[in-house]
Amino acid sequence: MRVALAEDGALFREGLLMLLQAAGHEVVAVAAGGDELLALLATTPADVAVLDIRMPPEPDGGLVTAERIREKWPEMGLLFLSHYAESHYLMRILDIGTDAIGYRLKEKVGSVEVLSDTLGRIADGEIVIEPVLAKRLVERPRGAKKDEVATLSERELDVLKLMAEGRSNGGIAGQLFVTPKAVEKHIASIFAKLNLHTDASESHRRVLAVLTYLRSQKDD
Amino acid sequence: MRLEPAPPGDAPRAPVNAVVAPEARRRRERDQWQGRRRLERQLHDGAALRASALVLQLGLFRHRVPDGEDELRDAIGLLQDELHAVLQELRDVAGQIYPPLLDEAGLGPALRELAERLDASVRIREEEPTGGRFGAAAEGAVYFAVADALGAGVVPREVCVAGGRDELVVTITGGARELGELMLDRVRPLGGTVRCDISAAPDETVGTGTIVARIPCE
Repeated sequence: MRVALAEDGALFREGLLMLLQAAGHEVVAVAAGGDELLALLATTPADVAVLDIRMPPEPDGGLVTAERIREKWPEMGLLFLSHYAESHYLMRILDIGTDAIGYRLKEKVGSVEVLSDTLGRIADGEIVIEPVLAKRLVERPRGAKKDEVATLSERELDVLKLMAEGRSNGGIAGQLFVTPKAVEKHIASIFAKLNLHTDASESHRRVLAVLTYLRSQKDD
Repeated sequence: MRLEPAPPGDAPRAPVNAVVAPEARRRRERDQWQGRRRLERQLHDGAALRASALVLQLGLFRHRVPDGEDELRDAIGLLQDELHAVLQELRDVAGQIYPPLLDEAGLGPALRELAERLDASVRIREEEPTGGRFGAAAEGAVYFAVADALGAGVVPREVCVAGGRDELVVTITGGARELGELMLDRVRPLGGTVRCDISAAPDETVGTGTIVARIPCE
């Protein structure tokens, strides 16, 4: 995979560069800030851009840069890395896009396997959310949808949590030791309970389920 | 402020005013908040980033471990987990010094995140235009007053953040007296005022009153 990387901390940037290369990815651009990365991307295409949230242009150059990348190259995947996992930033990230986008803690992409899995899922169009954040959001439902979310069964909440992490049906089934068929049933029930009736495709409805849910937390 | 005694035999000095001018005191207080913000940034840019980079380096070593050396590979994985725990503790400490989200995004987002983490059902509202900034001191004082209250189980119904002419105005509805006192402790050194209109008994944690804090901004 062709990866572009922008991070202002030299130590972390070098470490990530080496790990990406060890994982067999082609790092096509390395920059210490968003503007520099955009200049490099103008001549070098990439599949996924890895962005530090808190980098130049200050204060949150990663987000500004991501907006510009989405505008110019809508197909390019975006992985945000941060020292903090905050729902505030998750909402801003989801405002930028709900396809091929991810948000993870810097120290949680520290293995070749996790790094490649995260990048691969983003390149496939999925949303990848730091599990600890997804878990926190799902376990503490608040806001407008609180009543609807409260009607979900414990198992349905487990499924929703894994959906929020961007897992496929097969992945969810594996995690919960149930059949994919059972997962489908749970998901249909979640859609119904969250009042998600839409003409959109199955995968899009999954995203909507998670987004409706996550956004409901923010609206209070 | 500690005053050094004049050395003996020295020429008489101008009298030192024992009462510190209010403006000087406010400035010192503001400097303290800025110092806290600097410390948080230092933690983030220094120790935290180094530890995160270490996790990556360990990941590289783990990847290079030859097949059949599963024990070594697992041991490196455990070290990475341990570093994650270290970073988690650094995040906790940084949050108590000066919450990074408060620094980066302001009072509204920081209070919302706080309420979410504490699972406190308080509504956080920002008056239009949202996203106004009021300086490290005023924002820090209000944030920690609310954090102390929520931590003590004193949960108001709503906290509204608004900007006035060179001041931050925070209106708390459904607030108890204790929250008003916590707020006053924090904002008085900055020259702020707190007006409490509380009808509930002093010991009640769920109040019915309105608390308005006004803090001048630098």
